[in-house]
Amino acid sequence: MTSLSTLLVARQPWLSTAARALLAGVLVLAGWPKLLDPEGTVRSVRAFQLVPESLVRPVAYGLPMLELALAAVLLLGLGTRLAGAATAVLMLVFLGGIASAWVRGLSIDCGCFGDAGALVSDPVPGYVRDILRDLLFLGAALLLALRPRSRYALDGLLGLHPEPAVPPADRPAGTDRPAMTDRPAMTDRPSARRTGAPDVRSPT
Amino acid sequence: MTNARTARSAREKSAELRAEAARKEARRRSMLVLSAVLAVLVVAVGATILVRTAGDQKAAQVAASSRPPRNLADGGIAVGNADAAATIEVFEDFQCPACKSFEDANAAQLAAWVQAGTARVVYRPISILDRSSSTEYSTRALTAAAAVVDASPAKFVAFHTLLFANQPAENTPGLDDGQLVSFAQQVGADVPAVQTALKQRRYDTWIATVTDEFSKRGFTGTPTILVNGVRLEDWSPENLRAVVTKAAG
Repeated sequence: MTSLSTLLVARQPWLSTAARALLAGVLVLAGWPKLLDPEGTVRSVRAFQLVPESLVRPVAYGLPMLELALAAVLLLGLGTRLAGAATAVLMLVFLGGIASAWVRGLSIDCGCFGDAGALVSDPVPGYVRDILRDLLFLGAALLLALRPRSRYALDGLLGLHPEPAVPPADRPAGTDRPAMTDRPAMTDRPSARRTGAPDVRSPT
Repeated sequence: MTNARTARSAREKSAELRAEAARKEARRRSMLVLSAVLAVLVVAVGATILVRTAGDQKAAQVAASSRPPRNLADGGIAVGNADAAATIEVFEDFQCPACKSFEDANAAQLAAWVQAGTARVVYRPISILDRSSSTEYSTRALTAAAAVVDASPAKFVAFHTLLFANQPAENTPGLDDGQLVSFAQQVGADVPAVQTALKQRRYDTWIATVTDEFSKRGFTGTPTILVNGVRLEDWSPENLRAVVTKAAG
C-alpha cells in the first residue's frame, strides 16, 4: 500500500501528463463536431430543456469553442491548474445535465460528441455509459486541478509548479526549519531523505 | 559559541528571506500565466458567440427577402380533405432511416385514408441530418421537395415516395443534384424549377426556420408523428390505425 502510494506520488507528473493528453483528446472529439454543426448543437442544448430559450444559442455557440480552447491549453500544459479546474466544472455541468435528463425521463442522446440530442427508444444504457465516462474525465480533471505539475508542460518552462526541493542530506537533526507539510513525496520517504534521494522518481 | 549561533541564525534568516522571495515570485508568475489563460478562454468563447450571433442577424435580414414555397397549409404540405376528422402530421427528414421505416410501414394506409377522406396528412419535412452525408443531402433533398411543392404541388406525394424509395445510406455522399432533378422529371414536376432551387439553395432559410420550430416545440428526433396534435410514441401500422380510427370515429 505504502509502496503503491509512493509509486503514484513519484509518478504523478507522468500521470498528470497522461490526464492532460486524455482530456485534450476528448475535448477535441467533443468540440470539433459541435463547432462544424452549430444548428445541431443548438438543438442538442435545447433538447435538455435546462437552458432558457434566450440563452440556448449563446450556450450552443460558446460551448464548442470552450471545449477546444481548454483542449489547447491542456495539450500545451499552460495554466494546468486553472484548465483542470475549468474542465472539472464543465464535466460536473455535463454530469448534472445527463442525470437531470434521466431523472426527468427525457429520451435523448446527450449530444456529447455532436450526435445532436437525437431521440432514442431506450435512453437509460446511454445515460449510464455517459455518466461513467464523464466521471472518469472528472477524475482526470480533478487530478490536474490538485496536482498540476506534469512532464512536457509549458508551465514547467515558465517556472510554475517547480519540483519539490530535496532537503540537504547533511542537515543536522533538530534544526527548527518548518516542516514541509505540503510535500508528501518527502515525508512519505524517510529512507530517501536519509540517503539524499539521488532520484526521487525511482520506482523502488 | 554565541557568535557561531548568531552567525548561523543570520544565515538561516537570509535563506528564509530568499525562499520567501522565491515563493512570492513563483506565485506572481503563476497568477500571470493563469490570468493569461483565463483571458484566452474568455476571448475565444466570447468572440465565437458574437460572430455567430452577428451571423444570425444577417441571416434574419436575408430571410426577409426570401420566401417559403407556395402551396403550404399551416406551414406544412397538406394532402387530402381539409375537413377530415383526423389530421396526421409527419415530421421527417429525407435522410432518416426511421422515417423510411415509417414510410414503408404506413404509406399505403395513409394514401387509403386520404383517398377515403378519413384523414388529412400534413407533411412537415425538416433537415436535421446534414452531417450524416458529406453533401448536406438532407437539405438538398428537402430543397428539391420544396421546389416541387412550389411549382407542381400535385406531384409532391409521388416525389416524396421516390425520395424514400431511393434513400441513400447514412455517411455517404448521398444522391447528387442531377439525381434529384431526374426524380422530379420522373414524376412530371417542373424540372427547371427544381434545378434552379437546388442551384440557388433557394429554400435554405425556410428549411432552417421549420427545423428550428420543430426543435422549439420540444421534439428531438424524426419521425415525429402527431394525430390531431397529440404525439404518437408508437407509430406501428396497428397503433396508427387504432388511433386514427378512434379520432375519425
